[in-house]
Amino acid sequence: MDSGPSHEIDLMRRIGAGEGEALAEIFDLHSPLVLGLLFRILGRRSEAEEILQEVFLQVWTQAGRYDPDRASPRGWILMLARSRALDRIRRRDSSRRREEEVAGDPLLAAVHPVGTERLEAVERKSRIHSALGLLAPEQRRCIELAFFEGLTHTQIAERLQAPLGTVKSRILLGMNKLRQALGS
Amino acid sequence: MMAGANEHTARFDELLPAYALGALDGDDLRELEAHKATGCAECRRQIDLWQGDLEALATAVEPIVPSAATRERVLRAAEAGATVVPFRPRSRPPLWLALAATLLLVVAVWGVWQQDRLRAERDGLARQVASLERRLDQTETDNRRLAKTLSLITAPGARAIQLAGLGPAQGAVGHAFVNPRTGQAIVYAFDLPAPAAGKTYQLWWIPAGRPPVPAGTFDVDAHGAARLEVDKVADAAEPKTWAVTLEPAGGMPQPSGPIVLKG
Repeated sequence: MDSGPSHEIDLMRRIGAGEGEALAEIFDLHSPLVLGLLFRILGRRSEAEEILQEVFLQVWTQAGRYDPDRASPRGWILMLARSRALDRIRRRDSSRRREEEVAGDPLLAAVHPVGTERLEAVERKSRIHSALGLLAPEQRRCIELAFFEGLTHTQIAERLQAPLGTVKSRILLGMNKLRQALGS
Repeated sequence: MMAGANEHTARFDELLPAYALGALDGDDLRELEAHKATGCAECRRQIDLWQGDLEALATAVEPIVPSAATRERVLRAAEAGATVVPFRPRSRPPLWLALAATLLLVVAVWGVWQQDRLRAERDGLARQVASLERRLDQTETDNRRLAKTLSLITAPGARAIQLAGLGPAQGAVGHAFVNPRTGQAIVYAFDLPAPAAGKTYQLWWIPAGRPPVPAGTFDVDAHGAARLEVDKVADAAEPKTWAVTLEPAGGMPQPSGPIVLKG
C-alpha cells in the first residue's frame, strides 16, 4: 500500500470530497499511532478510543481545512488528537491522575517488536528515541509535562518545585537539542 | 538601537519553541501573541517547523491498534452523514437576498397575524349570530304564544275563570281562558310554591255532576308561574270548574292530592 506523503495528501483531498474509502485508508494508516498518543495522554484505553473516534470524525468533517504546506497529514491528525486529549484532561480533576497511571520513562519504554510494524516506523521511533536520549532527564521531563499533560511554564515550575526561569531554560535547551538531533 | 514593534528578533526565537509546545504563558505569551498579530511570516514558519518536531515527539509513543468496533463506528458515523466542511469558506449572501428574505419573513409573520385576527373576528361574529338566532327563535315562540293567547281571549264568547289558592298554596292565583267554540283553553297560574321532589301539579276540568277530567301536568318557574294550553275541552260551552291538585310525578287518572287552585 502506498503511504508516501503525496499519497496521504491525496487521501486528505479525497476525504475533503466526501470519499469514505479514503477515510478508511487514513484511519488504517494512522489510528494505531494516534491511539497510542491518546492513551499516553489520557491513561485510559476506553477514553482514548472514544477520543479516537472524535478525532477521525473531525478529520472527516474538516479535511478541507488541512493545509499541506504547514504539516503532514499524520502531523495534523496527531496535533488534532493531542489538542482534544488535553482538552479532556483539563476537564478532569487531574491532580492525582498522571503520577499513578504513568510510571517510569514512557518515551524510552517499549519499542514495538519488529515484524508487527513497518521497518520505517521502527526506524522513525529509533531516531526519536535516540534524540530523546540526548536530552538531560530534567529537560525531557519538562517537555513531556508540556506535551503530554498540557502544562505551561508556570504549572511545570509548580509541579517540579523548580524556579520558573529554570523551567523556561530547560524547555528551550531541550527543544533546540531535539531539533538538532532530529535534523542530523 | 531598539527593534521596531513588528520586527522579528531573537527574543521571539526563544519564545517560539515553548509557544509551539503550548507551554508559554503570562507576559511571555502576551508579548509573542501581540507580535504574531502583526502577521509575522517568520513566526509562522518557525511554528510550523517546531510542530514538525513535536510530531516526531508524538510518534515516540507505543502504537495501539484500535478495536474493530471503534473503526466500524467511525466509518459508519461518517457514512451516516457527518457533514464534510467545504474547502472554501461560505460566501455571504448578497444584500438584496438578505433584504428579500427579511421582507418575506415580515410578510409571512404579518400574514399569520392577520389570519389569526380574522379567524378570531369570524369566530366572534359566528357566536353573535348564534346568539341572535336563539333570541329570534325565543321571540318567535313568545309571539306565537301571545298571538294564540290574544286570539283566545278576544274570541267571541270567550270565558275567563278566576282561580284562587287553597290549602298549601293560599297565596296563589290563576286564570283559565276558554274558547267555547273551539274548546281550546289556556290556564295561567301564579305564586305557586315549587312542588316537592317526586310531585307535580295537575290541571283538571270538572263538568257539573261528573268526575274530573285530567288536562295535563305542569311545573312552575322560579317565580311560581306556569302556563298550560289545553287543546280540546269537551262541551266547552257548558260551565265547568277548573282545579289544580298536587299529585305524584307523572300525574294521576283521578285527583289524589290536595287542591291548590280552584275556580
